[in-house]
Amino acid sequence: MNYMPGTASLIDDIDKKHLVLLRDGRTLIGFLRSIDQFANLVFHQTVERIHVGKKFGDIPRGIFIVRGENVVLLGEIDVDKLCDNVLQQVSIEEILEEQRLQQQAKQKTEKAKVTALKDRGLSIPKADNLDEY
Amino acid sequence: MFRFQSLDEDCTLEKEEGLVEEEDEIDQFNDDTFGDGAIDDDWQEEHKRLAELEEQKNDGLGGLGLGTLGMGGMGGGNASTVHLPPPASRVPHPSSLPPPHHSLSSIPPPGLEERGGGDLAESLAMLILGVDPAIASVGGPAGPDDRSTGLPPPPSIPQQHHHPSQLPPHHQLTPSGLPPGPPHLSLLSYQQHQHLLRRGAAPMQQMNSHNIWENNLGFGPVSITPGLITQMEDSPLMSIIKEVGLPNRPPPMMSEDGRDLSERAPPPRSSSPVIGSPPVRAVPIGTPPKQPMSHAMNHHHHQQIHHPTAIHVRAPVQHRYPPSFPERISPNTLLNIANSPLCRPPFPAGVGPVLSQIQRAQMLNSQVAGFPRGCQGPPLLPGGGGFRPFFGQPPPHRMGPHPGGPPPPNHNHVPCPIIRHNTTHLHPQHRRMLTQRMQSRGGERGGRVGDWRSRDPYSNLMSQREKEWVAKIQMMQLQSTDPYLDDYYYQNYFEKLEKRQERDRDGVRKEHTTKLITPQVAKLEHTYRPVQFAGSLGKLTVSSVNNPRKMIDTVVTSRTDDEEKREKQVWNKRRQILYTVEKMYSLLLEVQDFEKRFMQTPEEQREALLEQHKTHTLQLYSSLKEKEWDDRVSDEQCLLIMSVRKGKRLISRLIPFLPPLQAATVVMGIARNLPALAKKDKQDQVLCWLVEPIAVVISSLSSASLTDLLQELQGSEGQLSRVLQNKFGVTLLYLILSEGERMQSSNPTCQLMDDNRWTELVFSVTRELLNVPSSSLSPPLFTPPNLLSLFSRYVDRQRLELLQEKLQISALSRCVWGCA
Repeated sequence: MNYMPGTASLIDDIDKKHLVLLRDGRTLIGFLRSIDQFANLVFHQTVERIHVGKKFGDIPRGIFIVRGENVVLLGEIDVDKLCDNVLQQVSIEEILEEQRLQQQAKQKTEKAKVTALKDRGLSIPKADNLDEY
Repeated sequence: MFRFQSLDEDCTLEKEEGLVEEEDEIDQFNDDTFGDGAIDDDWQEEHKRLAELEEQKNDGLGGLGLGTLGMGGMGGGNASTVHLPPPASRVPHPSSLPPPHHSLSSIPPPGLEERGGGDLAESLAMLILGVDPAIASVGGPAGPDDRSTGLPPPPSIPQQHHHPSQLPPHHQLTPSGLPPGPPHLSLLSYQQHQHLLRRGAAPMQQMNSHNIWENNLGFGPVSITPGLITQMEDSPLMSIIKEVGLPNRPPPMMSEDGRDLSERAPPPRSSSPVIGSPPVRAVPIGTPPKQPMSHAMNHHHHQQIHHPTAIHVRAPVQHRYPPSFPERISPNTLLNIANSPLCRPPFPAGVGPVLSQIQRAQMLNSQVAGFPRGCQGPPLLPGGGGFRPFFGQPPPHRMGPHPGGPPPPNHNHVPCPIIRHNTTHLHPQHRRMLTQRMQSRGGERGGRVGDWRSRDPYSNLMSQREKEWVAKIQMMQLQSTDPYLDDYYYQNYFEKLEKRQERDRDGVRKEHTTKLITPQVAKLEHTYRPVQFAGSLGKLTVSSVNNPRKMIDTVVTSRTDDEEKREKQVWNKRRQILYTVEKMYSLLLEVQDFEKRFMQTPEEQREALLEQHKTHTLQLYSSLKEKEWDDRVSDEQCLLIMSVRKGKRLISRLIPFLPPLQAATVVMGIARNLPALAKKDKQDQVLCWLVEPIAVVISSLSSASLTDLLQELQGSEGQLSRVLQNKFGVTLLYLILSEGERMQSSNPTCQLMDDNRWTELVFSVTRELLNVPSSSLSPPLFTPPNLLSLFSRYVDRQRLELLQEKLQISALSRCVWGCA
């Protein structure tokens, strides 16, 4: 039954494997089990996938309920077309380690940049709180 | 509660004195924290014993690299702060454990050593026991005790928490603590682990000095950062305990085999959602449809499992709504139940259905470590089983008789898709496009999806009804009364599309240009009409989101200006009349009181008084009479005054005081306007007050005036009939007639018969009397007796009899009325 022809609705996406990107940068993959009018999502057998470079790691999370406003994008995953050719899956620890290193590196560069700017007398305020006003 | 001994013994018992006083309180906390089954025996004794032991063994184990275990080493932060030191030699453990922990590998858990390896599972258990101080310390006191009956690891754990510094020796004591016998893997099953975790978490808040902590205890798998400690301190668990106090302590169940079934279930959530939040009873419009709760599983579980009586650590707020799944099911049970129906894991990850201990622990670690920020108190039975629904309520539900809904969508057996007409208001062009699209897509998806769907045991968690409900809400948002305003671009796009299509198809046939018919939703007025039961006062109001209850029941009555003016006028007039009447009354009263006053005043002033009196009377009359004519009462004025009850009374009182002539004119006026007066008097019915004074007047009338009076009475066309309908009128008529008769009978020479007027008038009267139907003839106040004789003069026998009958005049009554 076509629920909402002509409009976008998540009803037809239920019970399918989805990938959702959240506002805080996390990527979740799971089966979309339930929705509501705010596009709050209920994910089942959720896995948080962390990508670092070409590697990725899956952390199993169980059941997730995502508040609709935190969703950046959501898309269905074609279960038949698993494209793991480019990406290499690693264990949880490894990916977390990688992530940590990545964060460290980023912080370092950021810090260097800030000091460099400070030396030149400029200061760019950190856009830390993009969401809040 | 805790007294942590550092390796240097300076601060060993410094707090003992202070704590002794609050012993009872502390012990309560103790039970709460560590669950029932806590040992009653004196932990202080235990401590002393252990202290002795420690002194013996301390040398051997000095310098344990345990420091690395604790907080400091947790540089990884989120990640695998696994505190399971792998005796890599012993157990094939994933090599992902961080190296620093290998320092412990030098001290392989004694359990493993002593047992010589046993079977893998057991050794794993030992491993976990050995490392996790919370669990490891299990063995200690149990060893030296004579309580070797069962393995009470859970109950005795609290004891051991007090003595974290005893860890190293405890490692060695472990084997003795663990009774040989059934493998204790079950005891270290997941929920046990959880349990221990919980216990591990709680005591932390009692920590006072940090240096004590550094050496020992990566407390279980939880990584303790200083920041986290502060969180623990005001853990909701403890605050609740402080508030509520101790719930009833269940009897310590020490069964034969030492299995404490109450330990099966994980302790309840410390941060209960029930606390503070009011139960939602009213159902606002935004709530999803209720799920038909299948209690099948609940009952099933009850039968199967010992429903354990776990301690409630919540505030004394009852669960207002029944949990949709029994909270006390252990994950293992659920696992067993849930495991069976699962044929094929939909999730293609390469994880086996049963997780090993290590992996579980691993998951737990990552789980827990992954939430350093949010973790308040013990981590909620984590959905660590991403692969299996440990705690999932859906599967037990959905396994059962699924409320037979329609087949899952996208089965695509339907060749033409169903577009719901009640929810969609699409442009017809749009609709056509959609149907085409759907049909083309329908062929592709076909059987594959359907097959997959049927195998997924978790499908259709969202019932059809719920889907429709969401769709309805979304469609509601699309409805509009003015599509051009709300969705301009949509409308325009399709318009253009149509035009283009028309153009492309054939420019010739212009007459087929489709008219744009945009569906519009009728603006429905949803006025709330309150429910009202017949015969009751007031109206019931069911308030909801859409109609909040009325605070004031105001009814707007808007009267038009004209109406208001008219009403005002009427009232003004009436007021004026009353005012006039009042004034006249005051005069009248003066006139009435004249007599009295006259008597009272002395001689000299009597003249003046008399004059005054006369003036008053004149005044009174003048107010009644016409402007110009003296001998005629102003009809208008008279009517006005008489329209008011008070006015009528006034007149009746006034007439006696008027000089005869004037009185006569007044009476004339009354007679003249009788019909109108009668109409106005319908409500009051007080015209009869006038009878007496009028009678008096009549009796003093001359024949001529009497005739005139009668004439007046008959005045206009049809007046007499109306007069006859009114009681007063009839009475008046009779009075006149009887007066006339009296005149005639008493004085044969009266001039009544001189002109024919009287006769004629009487004739007309009789005629009228005969014609008027009896029903409309109003009975008079009284019937003068001489009427008969009057009539007999003028009418023949036949008519006389008729009259007699009609008027019920008795021929025999010969009472002479008002005899002269």
